[in-house]
Amino acid sequence: MFKKLFTTAAALGAFMTPLHAGDLSTMSWDEIVAQAKEEGNLTWYVWYLQDDFRRAISSFEDEYGISVKIPDGDNAGNSQKMLAEKDRETGDIDVFAWGYDSFETVELKSLFNSLDKLPKDDGRVSKLAGVDGGDHVLAFWGNQSGIAYDPAKVSEADLPQSIDDFATFWTDHPNKFGFNYEKGGSGPSFYQNVLRNVAGVDFSNGEVSDARIAAVQPGFDFFNKHAANYIITASNVDNINRVSDKELWMAPAWEDHLAGLQNRGEVRKEIKFYIPEMGMNGGGNGVAIPKNAPHPAAAMVFVNWLTSPETQTMFNRDFGTAPMNAAADDSAALVPNEQRAFRQSWGKQPFRSKVEEAFIDNVILER
Amino acid sequence: MTMRNWIQIFALLMPGLGLILVLIGSVVYIAIAQSFGYYALLGESAFSTEFWSEVFSRKIFSRAVRYSIYIGFWSAVLSVALAYPLAIWLRKPFPGSIGLGALLKAPLLVHGLVAAFLYINVISYNGLLNQTMQGIGIWAEPRRLQNDSNAFGVLLLQVWKNMPFALLVLTGSVQGISDDVLDAARDLGAGPWARFRKIIAPLTMSGMQAAMVIIFIGALADFTFQTTVGPTNRQSMAQLMVSFKSRGDWHSAAVVGVSLMIIALLGSALLALLTRTVMRGSPR
Repeated sequence: MFKKLFTTAAALGAFMTPLHAGDLSTMSWDEIVAQAKEEGNLTWYVWYLQDDFRRAISSFEDEYGISVKIPDGDNAGNSQKMLAEKDRETGDIDVFAWGYDSFETVELKSLFNSLDKLPKDDGRVSKLAGVDGGDHVLAFWGNQSGIAYDPAKVSEADLPQSIDDFATFWTDHPNKFGFNYEKGGSGPSFYQNVLRNVAGVDFSNGEVSDARIAAVQPGFDFFNKHAANYIITASNVDNINRVSDKELWMAPAWEDHLAGLQNRGEVRKEIKFYIPEMGMNGGGNGVAIPKNAPHPAAAMVFVNWLTSPETQTMFNRDFGTAPMNAAADDSAALVPNEQRAFRQSWGKQPFRSKVEEAFIDNVILER
Repeated sequence: MTMRNWIQIFALLMPGLGLILVLIGSVVYIAIAQSFGYYALLGESAFSTEFWSEVFSRKIFSRAVRYSIYIGFWSAVLSVALAYPLAIWLRKPFPGSIGLGALLKAPLLVHGLVAAFLYINVISYNGLLNQTMQGIGIWAEPRRLQNDSNAFGVLLLQVWKNMPFALLVLTGSVQGISDDVLDAARDLGAGPWARFRKIIAPLTMSGMQAAMVIIFIGALADFTFQTTVGPTNRQSMAQLMVSFKSRGDWHSAAVVGVSLMIIALLGSALLALLTRTVMRGSPR
């Protein structure tokens, strides 16, 4: 009886245990691809557009015969899982996607495998929005926040470009502009750039002090002075929905988010997008391979595919992203290239989080 | 009793007690420990009261406490106040009363999130309500009704969802009152209000307290209705807890969570006491 049990358990154990990778650093790329095919599958933890990505990765699965599983999960849940299981010998995550600026909050070398075995491609992006991913992180998704607007209500020539323009717009058209302060970064990108312009605070410095937080006060005063003329929305998607619904004329949005919703016919095609001259944040998302990835070779091949010019062109066409490979075609973007000069980087932590807390206390709760 | 008896009793109690002690106890223990700096996902785990003092000093926390108590209290009171007359009305069967009772309890079968989305569709800028009001000429243009700052939308949904539960509890209690008792009161000259105050309310006190307390705890910890239709200039405690957690600040989230548990416990006791005092009057 016990012999049978042990035999069954051992057999099950053999099936359950992932194929252990050889040392990838000593392998050629062809050997890595061969091992990836032997591993046969991988799990990609990405927190958004999971259904769309499941469709998009089918060309990878067809090309390599490696199946890709994309579990459902949100950004916080995925990142907490990655951190919580960092000390396990073998984790569940093969490829981990995260906001590029979030990678800055952890020590890359101790958490992720080196990507230096990928075939040479100078077009890939490892430095983005002031964050250097080094050999461990590559950008696969470029995004830009800006303002979505209804061209039937606001002509291109009248688009607000500076903080004074926005104040004038709010006064002339009360409650036709709204932004979110949580559930999505487009609203925070807007108010942080207004704060930066009004108060002259340097968000690229992450240092926190009472004096630095106090210096943001003129920006809070600016929002409080105009509080009656703009509204606070619930989220990124609420912004776009309300513009599409003709309730609002303008609201912050993400370029890729708006393009995706328009491509799927979920919001009006007529809605346009621009980056104001006062600047709004851009950045993107990156991928990395955790040190305890159960299928490291398959993960490496997948990252190579994800960051290739062909895949980045496909993402630009289907999702409206800014391509993260210099050789990719970016002709499907919503904004002309000259507007990208107004792109700002996200503020450094922990200063940014403290400003966000102070904004809630001094502006949102004062309404 | 012998040791064998003790072991037997303990073993028999384990399925129930074990569930309470292991599942609930471990969650409460971890939440309390985490609020004092233990079980850190990143960094050092060490005893600290810093998270309590920091969270308590935030304006957003005190606003969230007041707001959650407001939602919990009024949801409980309004749900029970609406359920009482219906329970009394449905006390004695009449043609169609079973169907009516089932219809009134139907919201129990609909998930709150579904109701919240339906509600948004009705009150949105181009929704049914705005179109109707403009169609009949009462409003000249659409009005912005979503995420109202007094949280009337949240209260409406809470009452819609919880009133059937209160009705379920109160119907049983009201039906347990004998006709003879009410007839005797009527014979002695008691009007409808006196019969309710002096007979029905005292005899259904336990049911009412149970309904009030359970609805209060659920509404106090509301997340779903608040994040879909709630005001954008304040957060419920559950929303604040999730907001801390999503920033990776588990310790502050635990402080809010433990505070929520304490408020639920104290608030329930106070509500039960208040109900008793109001319905029975001061002790004679």
